[in-house]
Amino acid sequence: MAEPASTAAPMVPLQPGIFVDDASGVPRLAGTRCRTCGTYYFPRRQVCAQCLGTDTETVPLSERGVLYTYTVVYQSTPEFRTPYLLGYVDLPEGVRVLAPLADLAVDDVRAGMPLRLVVEPVRTDAQGRVVLGYRLHRAQPDETRPEETPPA
Amino acid sequence: MSSVWIVGAGMTKFGKHVDQSVVDLGAEAVLAAIADAGIDPRRIEAAYCGHVFQGMVAGQRVLAQTGLAGIPLTNVEDACSSGAVAVREAALSIRAGEHDVVLAFGMEHLTARFRGALTPAEDDLETAVGLTMPAIYAMRARAHMQEFGTTRRQLALISVKNKRNASLNPFAQFQTTVTVDEVINARPIADPLCLYDCSPVSDGAAAVILVSDRARRTITRTALRLAATALRTGEVDRGLSTMAVEPITQRTARAAYEQAGIGPEEVDLAEVHDCFSIAEVLRVEALGLFPIGDYPARVERGDADIGGMLPVNPSGGLLGKGHPLGATGVAQMVELVRQLRGEAGQRQVAGARVGLAHCRGGKAAGVEGAACTVNILAA
Repeated sequence: MAEPASTAAPMVPLQPGIFVDDASGVPRLAGTRCRTCGTYYFPRRQVCAQCLGTDTETVPLSERGVLYTYTVVYQSTPEFRTPYLLGYVDLPEGVRVLAPLADLAVDDVRAGMPLRLVVEPVRTDAQGRVVLGYRLHRAQPDETRPEETPPA
Repeated sequence: MSSVWIVGAGMTKFGKHVDQSVVDLGAEAVLAAIADAGIDPRRIEAAYCGHVFQGMVAGQRVLAQTGLAGIPLTNVEDACSSGAVAVREAALSIRAGEHDVVLAFGMEHLTARFRGALTPAEDDLETAVGLTMPAIYAMRARAHMQEFGTTRRQLALISVKNKRNASLNPFAQFQTTVTVDEVINARPIADPLCLYDCSPVSDGAAAVILVSDRARRTITRTALRLAATALRTGEVDRGLSTMAVEPITQRTARAAYEQAGIGPEEVDLAEVHDCFSIAEVLRVEALGLFPIGDYPARVERGDADIGGMLPVNPSGGLLGKGHPLGATGVAQMVELVRQLRGEAGQRQVAGARVGLAHCRGGKAAGVEGAACTVNILAA
């Protein structure tokens, strides 16, 4: 996957520090891995809650996961247009991430279904900047890449 | 170390109070608690105030209205557990030997600030992607349904029970009952939860007076012993655990039972944090009051009704009585006081000797809840 072509509008992350580029320069959700005990975290942590180790590294998280639970939100704050689908996806690193479900109708959604966590523009902010966020998409059936597993 | 006793309790009616400010509500509850205790207000040595959205020095503004200004006061914010933590801080100041007579109160005016769904902190990452409080509980409801076969109808029965109890409580926001069909067919909020599965937007205040062993000997009003006051924070998520159980409440309950020297089987009634219908299930099971996965079926059998095996939320709970955040944990104590004194009128739990109050507040990305409290009161 190539980096998106540069556009005139400046881009800002949904929140500072939530993305990190993977080896091919593609932005991914940033997690923390404890170098001492191997536990992964999202969002990032300064100290490992498992072993209290401080030797941690920021790592790009996998983009493939499995839906744990979901809801349709009918009432929200004014920034969000309702209804929308929201779900927790479990990633192979053992972290659970909340994200909106894009391109899916509620009748097509099942707990346990494979999904892809995609970093992408989600809206334009008040200053006209493109906001880079993340959403869950249907996993492509032709994706033959084996399930990503984190390094031991 | 002194024991801690509650000798006075008071609250405002919960609901929408367009003509009263949060300070008016706080003052009404504080004066009611002082009158109930029958003490000279000059004996109050310190105060703790729980609130979430009421701005700077909200507690001090209440002291200025009630003739108490000048004493030490601490404002406490722990989301929906704020009031319960204010009670705990007051109790700890007595145990520490610092004070003999202490006021704990909580208050919130939400209808002036909010309509509809509340969210976790505005700058939390999960809020930024669209999480609301109803949405997190809707997702946990789905997890409980999947794991234990809980039905939509069983969840609705919890709202039916708590609104029925509220109709017997003159201080409750809702005085009318609802049917299962009305709960299931109400406006959807976050699937599968509908309007009556959610606690309302409320205004209100509640207050209690706590005293030491020494002060108790000078007070004629019936004193009830605070047998336990436990507080825990949520742990950081590690690995993929079920959202159909609630470890933060399990850990807090263990600490409270150990402090009180009792087990869940000795509890006669419980006021638990039913911010949503499913929330009562998660909490009652985590408190060990009913087996995990079994509570919805037990509600269906009437075991949690007033007059049942273990009445849960006889006050109407958050669903029926209302949920003015900072006031909630203190109002639970007010209900326990009424029940253990035998002053609960039509909703009286016969022979109640031990009452448990539970709050759980807040949510942050990657953390299992923020603050959980269990307070146990004994006759």
